[in-house]
Amino acid sequence: MGIEISFSADELALPGFAGLAGDRAALDQLFSVTYEELRRLASILKRRDPAASLSPTTLVNEAWIKLARTPAVAQLSDLHFKRIAARAMRQVLIAAARKRNADKRGAGPGMTVVFDESLGGVPSCDEELLALDAALDRLAKMNPRQALMVEGRFFGGLEGAEISELLGISEATMLRDWRAARAWLAQQLAPVNGDGQ
Amino acid sequence: MDSSRWERVQRLFHEALDLAPGAREEYLGRACEGDAALAAEVWAMIEQDRKAAQLLDRPLEEVAQDLLRAPATPGQIGAYRLERVLGEGGMGTVFLGVRADLGSRAAIKVLRDAWISPARRERFGAEQRTLAGLNHPNIAGLLDADMLPDGTPYFVMEYVDGEHLDAYCNRVDAIRETRLKLFLQVCRAVQFAHQQAVIHRDIKPSNILVTSDGVVKLLDFGIARQLESLDREAEATRTAVRFFTPAYASPEQLRGESLGVATDVYSLGAVLRGLLGDQQAGGDLAVVCQKATHEDAARRYSSVEALARDIDHYLAHKPLEARPDRLGYRAGKFLRRNREPVIAAGLVAMGTIALIAVFLIQLRAERNSALGEAARAQRIQRFMLNLFQGGDREAGPAKDLSVATLVERGVKEAQALHDDPAAQAELYRTLGEIHQKLGNLAQAESLFDSALERHAEPATVLALGLLRVDQAKLAEAERLVRQGLAQARATLPAGHPLIADANDALGKVLEEKGEYGAAIAVLDESARMRGKDETGLANSLYELANVHFYAGHYSQSQALNERVLAIRKRVDGEAHPGVAEVLVNLGAVQQELGHYAEAEQFHRKALAIHQAFYGDQHPVTASGLTMVARALVFEKKTDEARGLLLRAVGIQESVFGKAHPRVASALNELGNVAMARNRYEEARAAFTRMVEIYREVYAGKHYLIGIATSNLGNAYLREGENAKAEKLFREALAMFRETLPGEHLNIAIARIKLGRTLLRQKRYAEAKAETSGGFTILNKQVAPSVTWLQSARADLAEIEQGMRRKDAVH
Repeated sequence: MGIEISFSADELALPGFAGLAGDRAALDQLFSVTYEELRRLASILKRRDPAASLSPTTLVNEAWIKLARTPAVAQLSDLHFKRIAARAMRQVLIAAARKRNADKRGAGPGMTVVFDESLGGVPSCDEELLALDAALDRLAKMNPRQALMVEGRFFGGLEGAEISELLGISEATMLRDWRAARAWLAQQLAPVNGDGQ
Repeated sequence: MDSSRWERVQRLFHEALDLAPGAREEYLGRACEGDAALAAEVWAMIEQDRKAAQLLDRPLEEVAQDLLRAPATPGQIGAYRLERVLGEGGMGTVFLGVRADLGSRAAIKVLRDAWISPARRERFGAEQRTLAGLNHPNIAGLLDADMLPDGTPYFVMEYVDGEHLDAYCNRVDAIRETRLKLFLQVCRAVQFAHQQAVIHRDIKPSNILVTSDGVVKLLDFGIARQLESLDREAEATRTAVRFFTPAYASPEQLRGESLGVATDVYSLGAVLRGLLGDQQAGGDLAVVCQKATHEDAARRYSSVEALARDIDHYLAHKPLEARPDRLGYRAGKFLRRNREPVIAAGLVAMGTIALIAVFLIQLRAERNSALGEAARAQRIQRFMLNLFQGGDREAGPAKDLSVATLVERGVKEAQALHDDPAAQAELYRTLGEIHQKLGNLAQAESLFDSALERHAEPATVLALGLLRVDQAKLAEAERLVRQGLAQARATLPAGHPLIADANDALGKVLEEKGEYGAAIAVLDESARMRGKDETGLANSLYELANVHFYAGHYSQSQALNERVLAIRKRVDGEAHPGVAEVLVNLGAVQQELGHYAEAEQFHRKALAIHQAFYGDQHPVTASGLTMVARALVFEKKTDEARGLLLRAVGIQESVFGKAHPRVASALNELGNVAMARNRYEEARAAFTRMVEIYREVYAGKHYLIGIATSNLGNAYLREGENAKAEKLFREALAMFRETLPGEHLNIAIARIKLGRTLLRQKRYAEAKAETSGGFTILNKQVAPSVTWLQSARADLAEIEQGMRRKDAVH
């Protein structure tokens, strides 16, 4: 039960990463916080509360505040935590999309309670998100740095400057890389021409 | 695509973008040299680059909202048809369910998206387990728990059809008393949870519902935690993900530190503050809120029980100034307030009984000695006769025979026993103990010293140690008592009752030092040492009950006193004064808990025993009358209280004469009741007589004169006669400074009172010096009276305000 979070060998070599990656309880908590932050964010959006200015950035910051005292997290730098939080956010959302997709196709186990009465009725981005996830995996094989960049920026709300610091590249390089990755991913997700190569 | 091809694609992509749009296609065709797929790839990316509104450009929150859509009304769970969503938290959704067969309603909580992480499942399960253990009328309880076919856990709770506490109070426009009584129900629920070792951690008005019957129900133990597991998983607790509500969360909660009872006390304080709003302004309730929500957890109420008790007291209109001036009162000291008057008043009888006891013991011990029983018995008989008859066989026991006279005679008689140092030492010790109980500490000390010179036995070392407690030399007291204990252990056979007695004495000293935990451990050990000695066991448990009382563990104190009561009733009989003594303590527990009617009942039972044992016209009976009267005052039956106190004064006068400290003490009670009835002239008359008696008895120099003077000042203060009050408080303070250690509680209280008269006269700078001086001393006490701290703090605030206003005028 639960989502698995995985790290590359490069990531595990980063200071503090191995500690967190090996701490199942800490990761569980990270998922738990991430999920509840996402849910909070979604419910605020639903209410169209003008006072709420929640973004992935604030979301990740909140998660950071909530988890900062976890021993496994405490060893990490702020930036590295955000990087992991972005990964967790991605995993949670993808897991949600996968489950929704399965329910929609009737593949999920029968439920007495149906949480969403509008299942299937309203266009949702679950398939698009699943495609993005797969494409990000392919991008990671082509250029891990760019995959990390997209993950951090889209799922983790990291600022440009933060990403360039995290990856040890100039901001100009970062922007160039981002533009190419964005275009390529969009092409992968495009309904007609995407060849998935 | 491999990395090198991707590199090439990107280079071409950027180079093409650097060109004018018209030149790109031609450039790509040339650069790709027949690799049409490559050209198409780059071209497609250029096309995408122009397009906005891609998935990656959308804010994540939109994506999240899409995926984690709010629940709609579902159908059925188990036997329940689901009607609507009652609430939605981070963890799960709560539905209103109706049983198709019975029509009964329930709240059903379902964990949302259980698959996200085992941590969520675990937390949900913990909530369910917690709730299962909380069966209380003010807690919405657990009815059932199960899983949906897909493994999603849910549980069924009692459905509370009610309003949020604050909304309810505002809708019915509840008066303060109603709000406080509702709040007390919340306290009871939280207190119960704490007794089950559960901390709620998210107490706030929206988690407290009030039904149409006015019954409070505490909800949502979603982030509650078992205290036991706090220890076991200390780390997990600190790191536990925090889902509390910041407005009601304690500072340590916000800081993510480990949490305990104090956290809930804080939240309760915040709830109370919100509930009272403007109604708390400036008064005792504001101070209660402040204490409950103190930044420093250690300075909050130590338990929800303590918080509730203060509210209880407030509701019972327990007068703020009623406590500190009682004769013999010491902050938080049970013995002083409740037992000692009995002992001191009964000294004529008990002192004599003690003396006789000494000699009977002595007699028994000497039975086998060479001196011979007859000679010994004769000597003792003579001693007793001389003691009571003052050498005049014709006159019989004198009516005005005072304890002091008796003791004086006893000392003379003892001096004549110089050929028997052991007996003489024992007599000196006993007489010293009587002096000690009379408050004549110097005489007591000199008698103990004499006893030690003659025969250094552990009992005397212990007695001296306990005297040091009265002299407020606690370090010395502990040293002596430990020495006595070691001596007893070394010289007496194991299991000798004196060893346990010595251990009891150590418990008492630790208790005086405020080291309640250590005192409890020592006295627990005493109780174990007692074995089959039931009388001894009762004594140790009696002391243990006292420590628990001081530590604020009223239920434990009550339970122990009940045990002592049972033993003494069985061993000594129902009508024994030792039984009455325990009844007095049980009354004191009820009094502290604010159950004044119950307190009255206990004191009446004790009084009946004392009356039967000592007769109607006996000082102990007078003390019993006083105890009942105190309970009556809090029940607002002040007329009845006054009647009993007049009887008590009459008894003391007839036994001790018009000018005797016992009479003064009874007058003090009478004066306080007059104060409570706002009869200031009557109060002044009582306190004035009290001052006169003490002046006469103590030749113009004794701290009790200060106390009487201060009480008289209080009567003037209440009447607004500030100049007169000021003069009296200054006199009292001077007397205290002459007769007491510099940091004595009485000095603190006198300074605070003096400060208040100065404040009333708008002499702010002078007032500030006195009040803050008193406050500082008060803070250094082992267990400072909350009442006094509060009243000093309130005065200081008023003084500051006055000073600012004054500045603003100038």
